[in-house]
Amino acid sequence: MRAALLRAKLETALGERASSPFTDVEQRVWDCVPSGIPTLDVAIGGLPRGTIVEIFGAPSSGRTSLALTILSTLIQQGEVCALVDGTDAFDPESGAAAGMDMRRLLWVRCRNLDQVLRSADLLLQGGGFGAVAVDLSDLPQKALNGISLAVWFRFQRVLENTPTVLLLIGQEDVAKSAAAVVLRSNLRRATWNAPSETSGPAGPAQTSHGLLLNQTHLDVEVLRIRHSRRGSSRIHHDVRLYSCP
Amino acid sequence: MFACIHVPDARAAATAQPALLDFASAFSPRVEDTAMGTVVLDIAGLDRMFGSAAELGQRLQECASTLGTAIHVGIASNPDSAVCAARAWPGVTILERKTETARLKDLDIVFLPLDPETHATLSRWGIRTFGALAKLPAKELSVRLGQQSVHLHRLARGIASRPLRPRRETSHFEEVMELDDAITTLEPLTFILNRLCDVLFLRLRCRGLAALELRLKLKRERPHDPFVVPLRLPVPARNPRVITRLFMLSLEAKPPGAAVCEVRLEAIPSKPRVIQNGLFVPLAPEPEQLELTLARLAGIVGKGNVGSPEPANVYARDRFEVKHFGTDFGHIERQRHGALRIYRPALEATVRMVDSVPSWIGFSGMHGPIAVASGPWRSSGEWWNNRQWTHEEWDIAVGNALLRIYRDCRQSRWYAEGIYD
Repeated sequence: MRAALLRAKLETALGERASSPFTDVEQRVWDCVPSGIPTLDVAIGGLPRGTIVEIFGAPSSGRTSLALTILSTLIQQGEVCALVDGTDAFDPESGAAAGMDMRRLLWVRCRNLDQVLRSADLLLQGGGFGAVAVDLSDLPQKALNGISLAVWFRFQRVLENTPTVLLLIGQEDVAKSAAAVVLRSNLRRATWNAPSETSGPAGPAQTSHGLLLNQTHLDVEVLRIRHSRRGSSRIHHDVRLYSCP
Repeated sequence: MFACIHVPDARAAATAQPALLDFASAFSPRVEDTAMGTVVLDIAGLDRMFGSAAELGQRLQECASTLGTAIHVGIASNPDSAVCAARAWPGVTILERKTETARLKDLDIVFLPLDPETHATLSRWGIRTFGALAKLPAKELSVRLGQQSVHLHRLARGIASRPLRPRRETSHFEEVMELDDAITTLEPLTFILNRLCDVLFLRLRCRGLAALELRLKLKRERPHDPFVVPLRLPVPARNPRVITRLFMLSLEAKPPGAAVCEVRLEAIPSKPRVIQNGLFVPLAPEPEQLELTLARLAGIVGKGNVGSPEPANVYARDRFEVKHFGTDFGHIERQRHGALRIYRPALEATVRMVDSVPSWIGFSGMHGPIAVASGPWRSSGEWWNNRQWTHEEWDIAVGNALLRIYRDCRQSRWYAEGIYD
């Protein structure tokens, strides 16, 4: 009885600032977009619109490939996406090979963290994008850790009730609890030349230059899903490298 | 019935005249450019659209009030009485049919189109008002003052009748503001631009048009040639706020460099964009807002760093153009591929070779033995110009990282080009 009274008081106090603050997660209807990776969509039920989705991992962990796959999937659906490139590292050929219609991709080439945050803010405020990907990889981790959590919560607030997905790509998770979905990517192994002739990076040295770098096999770990009650899971994803036949 | 819009301030009248004509055109197709600061329009039959004469007069005044100067409106059964009413009284004045003589009788004769000689003669006779002139016999008046006095007599009685002379439609949209004191900073220019944009876009809206291209000309004290800021829009725009902001962003990026003494804004009109939104059409940024966002982003990261990447049609790596991001979208087939993150510019590396195969690499932030190497993949091109390249490319695994490196054969140097991610 006291809990119900307290709940009613809180709801009255919050007023219009938060609609249904105590509604169960399962009762909310999330509009989700497919990520383009079927196993991931099964695991998390798609990427919820109006939220922050974070993909992080070490260099060569496949985080950029995952992000480009998501952007490519949205662009294929006819949406317009933006990429805020923290260190001007995006390769347009990779994007084209991933099936992106480049005319639907707004590429913002930044040089520092300040430009990244201001550009992302402008794009989110402007609205109309299916996804805004912010590539924080290769930016100094110390500077990233110095970003106040309020920045990410402000972005989350701007995103709410919009159909835009904010994708954060980095080496470590920075948005913390502001992110609705957090994915960690790891490189399980790379396939050189043929699936049968594999050699993981940690395996024995094999300097045979007759091999072709053919595929990477990724482990994608789901660390947080806020829009459903599914638990943490791990999926495998294979990525063909475009440079090889 | 006829309505007259009049600007009593002679100085403002000169600059307000094109706007007055456009505002009047929004109400009636028959508009007469009577004199500087005076416009007459035929309002017969407009009561079903705009209500009574009083309501119409009010709307005319509201519309013209955006000019920022006092506006008089006169409504009468003939053009000349409407002009006299507008020139004589502030606000909205309505002269009902057959009451003109009584309403105008107390007006001073200065509101009549008199030449100085006639005015002096009438003054000598003691004629000061419309009523006094109207009481004179018309026949005797014409004997003494000539044929034109008959027309003056009818004007004074409020019964002059003449056909309206509608003006021809023009598609020239320009707003000018001359400044008493030249301005040296951009902030005051914002207010001036705001004002000019408001009036210009209201004029366009009155004609059912939008702006596709605009030109801002700033007259400078020194040098004397005008500073021109062109603005080409991807879609016809109707929002003055967006245009003002776009101009200000352009001026912030490239200021005029001298004190500005005149601001001139010219618009090339176009039909407005008409779109039918669909329930299932994927979302896209609103074009006007997108243009503003792009201009702001260009202000942050530089003009060449915002847009859509377009890979160049050459075999060389990392050749692309950043094109203007628009709303002209196409469709291509979907594929699934991995991504390469580019080191831009490529990082110079130290590579040790064993049996002509890279075995160790060191470059900024990374070094170690090469576990797997695939290559060399030789490429060359553009030998006909100074961008010639001859590369031997390798894909390598160093620790957990998969890299692409190349050897510049012309310089015999190694570079790390990117990392697969």
